[in-house]
Amino acid sequence: MKLLNHLTIMYLILTLLALAIGGFFIFRKLESEINFELGMELNRQVDAFADRIRQGAPPERLTSDRLEIFELSYSLPEEELTLRDTLAYHDPMNQNEIQLKGSKSYKIGDKHYRISYYNLVVETEDITETVVYTMLIVLLVQLLFIGFFFRGVSNRILKPFYHTLDQIQQFNFQKNLPLDLDRSQIREFNELNDFLERMSQKLLKDYRQIKEFSENISHEIQTPAAVVRGKLEHLMNLEINREQAELIHSAYQNNERIHRIVRSLSLLAKLENEEFEAPTPINLTEILQKNLEMLEELIHLSELTLETNLDPSVMVNMHPFIAEIMMHNLLSNAIKHNQKEGWIRVTLTPDLLLIDNSGLPLRQNPEELLQRFKKESPHPESVGLGLSIVNQICKTYRFTFSYTSANETHSASIGFR
Amino acid sequence: MKILLIEDNAELMQNILRYLSNEGIRCETAQTLYEAEDKLLGYAYDCILLDLMLPDGNGLTILQVINNLNPRPNVLIISAKDSLDDKLEGLDLGADDYLPKPFHLAELLARVKALYRRSKLGGKDELNFNEITIEHQNLLVTIYEKPVELTKKEFDLLVFFITNKNRVLGKQAIAQHLWGDYTDDLANFDFVYQHIKNLRKKICAAGGRDYLTTVYGIGYKFDENAL
Repeated sequence: MKLLNHLTIMYLILTLLALAIGGFFIFRKLESEINFELGMELNRQVDAFADRIRQGAPPERLTSDRLEIFELSYSLPEEELTLRDTLAYHDPMNQNEIQLKGSKSYKIGDKHYRISYYNLVVETEDITETVVYTMLIVLLVQLLFIGFFFRGVSNRILKPFYHTLDQIQQFNFQKNLPLDLDRSQIREFNELNDFLERMSQKLLKDYRQIKEFSENISHEIQTPAAVVRGKLEHLMNLEINREQAELIHSAYQNNERIHRIVRSLSLLAKLENEEFEAPTPINLTEILQKNLEMLEELIHLSELTLETNLDPSVMVNMHPFIAEIMMHNLLSNAIKHNQKEGWIRVTLTPDLLLIDNSGLPLRQNPEELLQRFKKESPHPESVGLGLSIVNQICKTYRFTFSYTSANETHSASIGFR
Repeated sequence: MKILLIEDNAELMQNILRYLSNEGIRCETAQTLYEAEDKLLGYAYDCILLDLMLPDGNGLTILQVINNLNPRPNVLIISAKDSLDDKLEGLDLGADDYLPKPFHLAELLARVKALYRRSKLGGKDELNFNEITIEHQNLLVTIYEKPVELTKKEFDLLVFFITNKNRVLGKQAIAQHLWGDYTDDLANFDFVYQHIKNLRKKICAAGGRDYLTTVYGIGYKFDENAL
């Protein structure tokens, strides 16, 4: 939820709570005030009737539907005013209504009268209605205020924050620009911006160093490896005996291995640094077909049968160079770890790339083969980085990658969605 | 053929120099961009071998100078900077080919000769080796003037061998030449052997001499003096 909406909702809830509590107290106060005034009025009425009796008016003539006069025993003490709710017949409305009855007794001459007078009370519902009505108007006014002022003002206060957020989201290692955030009036935002700017500078510096390191290490090792290779190639052409040839061969092969490892590791580092952006979708089917054509001969020479089921145009967001490496690694893997008269089955749909091949059951957990330098074959030529590279590629582009083995079938599957 | 090698690593330079001069290619060297520019303006070359990471800058900058030369030499970039961007940029700026380090010297020679053929001879030249004649343009091989049916791979292999005749070619170098850079880990499968076996069979069937010899399991040699 947006911060501003969150704040608005919290503010609304608090306002509603305050209005409800306030309404309750207003209701209580209003009710007691009305009842008090009513009691005073009844007291005055009853007093007035007592005066009239004192002046000689016969009590029985005064009696009406709102006035009751009882004669009490003279020996009883005079009663103070008592008020109580009662249901009594109300003539004008022609029905029983809740009324307030005020009673008081007077000793007039030698008689003792209890005079009770009724009056209609203001009903609770009426008070409630009034209170709720008032509170709703207050709420409406509040809402207008929130809409126009609170949100407007908050938006202005939070503007630098949203700006910062926007900048962070656009931050990109390839652009190589540290964050440059605007100053604002609010100290906390400035502190946040300062921190973020420092952090972005540090991140870019680290990133550059790692990138340079991986590029340099590749260069610094590849060059001597190239020198060694050249020297060995010259050595091969000299007059040598079998023993020397074997030594040269062994040195040569190990040098090749260094070369392959460095190249793979530097590729992995580049992938981890996300140096391969995928600006536009590419046609994966084309790349797959190109790789299959390239490897067709090797598949044939390895006496494998190839079965393909390719969707004609699968578009995926990937760097073309990386797509090629991924396809090549998966296909070479399927060729290398196959068996005599085996098969390879390649399926490509818009959601999934599936490469199955026949092969001996794995001796280790297939998940482990995704780790660096973990390999199944004892082959010295195999470095054990092929699947790690595919795994890293999938991580980089947020694909899902799984490698499984069951019943002499190995399956590599990549989910694009 | 005259070549200018722009490379700052002395050892690597020695390796290349030695291999190419054995083929009768005249080779001059420059270790810095400055030196290279000097030589380029003073002498004419058929081909430039250009390293990218040089002490006084990126080798790509000198492509500008090379492009203005008349006649324009071929440019083959040799770089350890295994980055695709450099490759694309280099080819964009007018380089003719790109060979990532470490390369096989045999491969380097094959590429240089191919470039030379393409540009100077319009691809029309014939490669003659005793009874064998190769016409690159038509991908045609004749032995004693009789055409021999070769597959594309066998043709490439034969050209590669004759270009590097009398030299031991490692299995890796051959595999990389035939199947490209990323196929080297598959080379252990003895596909190289299969192709060589087929090629040898076809040459012998056409009455050619069996020049191909095995060298102690390291590789093969197209030996002029083979019996």
